[in-house]
Amino acid sequence: MSEFVERAAPPLAETAASRRPFGLLLVAIPVFLVIWLVIWPAINAISRTIWRVDADGNTGFDLSSYAFFFSDRYSLDNLAVTLWTTMVCAVLLLVICLPIALYLRFSQGRLPAYVQALAILPMFVPSIILAFAFIRVLGPNGMIDILLNAVGLPKIRTPYLTPWGPVIGLVWDNIPLTVLILLSGLGSVANQFIEAARDVGANAFRVFWHIILPRISNSILVALSFSVLGIFSSFTLPYLLGPASPEMLGPFMQRTLRDLQDPIGAMTQAVVAFGFCILFGLFYVRSVARNRGK
Amino acid sequence: MSVLQISEVTKTFSGGTHAVNSFSLDVADGELVCLLGPSGSGKSTLLRMVGGFEQPTSGRITIDGEDVTHLPPERRPTGMVFQSHALWTHMNVFKNLAFGLKLRRMPASEIREKVEAVLELVGLAGYGDRMTTQLSGGQQQRVALARSLVLEPKILLLDEPFASLDQHLRERLREEVRDIQQRLGITTLFVTHGQDEALSMADRIVVMANGKTEQIGRPDVVYRDPKTPFVAGFIGTMNLVEGEVSNGQFTRSGFAFPLPIADGPATLAIRPESLDLTASDASKAKVHRVTDYGSHGLVDLDLADGTRLKSMVAHPDLFQAGQGVDPKPRAVAAYRNNQQIFRS
Repeated sequence: MSEFVERAAPPLAETAASRRPFGLLLVAIPVFLVIWLVIWPAINAISRTIWRVDADGNTGFDLSSYAFFFSDRYSLDNLAVTLWTTMVCAVLLLVICLPIALYLRFSQGRLPAYVQALAILPMFVPSIILAFAFIRVLGPNGMIDILLNAVGLPKIRTPYLTPWGPVIGLVWDNIPLTVLILLSGLGSVANQFIEAARDVGANAFRVFWHIILPRISNSILVALSFSVLGIFSSFTLPYLLGPASPEMLGPFMQRTLRDLQDPIGAMTQAVVAFGFCILFGLFYVRSVARNRGK
Repeated sequence: MSVLQISEVTKTFSGGTHAVNSFSLDVADGELVCLLGPSGSGKSTLLRMVGGFEQPTSGRITIDGEDVTHLPPERRPTGMVFQSHALWTHMNVFKNLAFGLKLRRMPASEIREKVEAVLELVGLAGYGDRMTTQLSGGQQQRVALARSLVLEPKILLLDEPFASLDQHLRERLREEVRDIQQRLGITTLFVTHGQDEALSMADRIVVMANGKTEQIGRPDVVYRDPKTPFVAGFIGTMNLVEGEVSNGQFTRSGFAFPLPIADGPATLAIRPESLDLTASDASKAKVHRVTDYGSHGLVDLDLADGTRLKSMVAHPDLFQAGQGVDPKPRAVAAYRNNQQIFRS
């Protein structure tokens, strides 16, 4: 009998130990991919931009590509428009998605389900289709212009090929993820927290400011970090909807590599973009750690 | 002087379910009234309507004569203690208590004074700087009570506040809450499904079932004189025996009791402490199990048709399983058509 029991239910430690190689194998695959596709190219790019071969064939420490980037007016304008687009998108995403998430969390019935479906829809629309739809609707002689023309009104100043083109496209593209993350954060705000606040005299704004916002601050950070990192290094929408000059870093890198045949310049731009993303990442980690410590 | 009046209040949810049906109640100044009933009886919905968290479909709620039926919670002179405490975990104890006072734009010195006084009242002096997550369940419940009391509400609403606590802590806290309530003389409406809580704390008990009042009365009266079979079965332990009355005699499977009421079906209600047992042959009833609680014993006995009765006895050692007994009620109540028709 005891033998049977031992066979049927082996000790937990043994089970965990026997499963460890399988677990490590599962983890090893993504770790290997990250090292191969992200970390190694990053190290390679950084080293190739700072250890350069000069005209005499000697390899040495050389920061001239960075010196060029940070002294070139055009590169700095591109960096500035990238930062501007990222920040404007982050603010707009928060302003648009927070009310949607609050509505979805605290409303009941069928209508919120439709609103949620609409909010999530952009997730299933590829960027290229989104850009095409944008041009057909907001572009020159697009649907809006046709409708305005039909009622005798002048054409709009189209955001297509202006810095606002990528902003509109990127905000629309990032709404689903932002709403979903905020909604999951709002799920941790129990109804009784809100009722208790109303019971002691808080109106809707004070409930939001003093009770809801502190509890979802981590979710806001996560949502904004994900969006900011994606937007900062985005390519398709800025390439298709943005102006030729200044341009965001994504199209700028592509053009430097393909059109100017300057791989070191493109790598330098990539390292600069990577550096900013690491800064955003560090800010996010620090803020989350600080919030958890509270 | 704070009086709560609930007049003909009905709450119908979508789908036509009547959570509360034409409910009326007057709660006097300083009185503690318990709403007692099983899950789904409408007691929590009623409390939430008094607190402003639900809108009545019809009816009127007044506090000191002022109609508050359609006021939002933040504009009602009520304070609610929630079942799950609902403490804001991102604030420490002091901030939890001070939040409502700050909203009333009270000076900081006065806020500190009031918070310290109420913490003293609930036995948590010096706990202001603690985070609520560092407190035990009982301490959290005290903070929740303090958060309501610090605003000096006219009506205190308690929504099963001890439900998440263990038995020992529950007993201690209900005594403390009762003491505080009496000391402050605050009018209180208390929702519970624990009859011992209601019996030990309330000035009056409202027994509810299916959104309606079954009985309102002092705890001792509700216990001793339940007006409906539901109340009889819900409050305390009760033997409810269905049987027939014929020629002034109630009978059920060999068990007989003189009952001076008209012939017909009836339900006999007998408390275990009112059912005496004498040794007999096994034709009337047989002992199924004897449980010795030290101070007293409880004998489970089966009538000939298997109907199970309970009798509280002083000397459980006199009985044993399988023994024949003759059950003799000392006091009974009889019900027909959901109404009490006899009581001895």
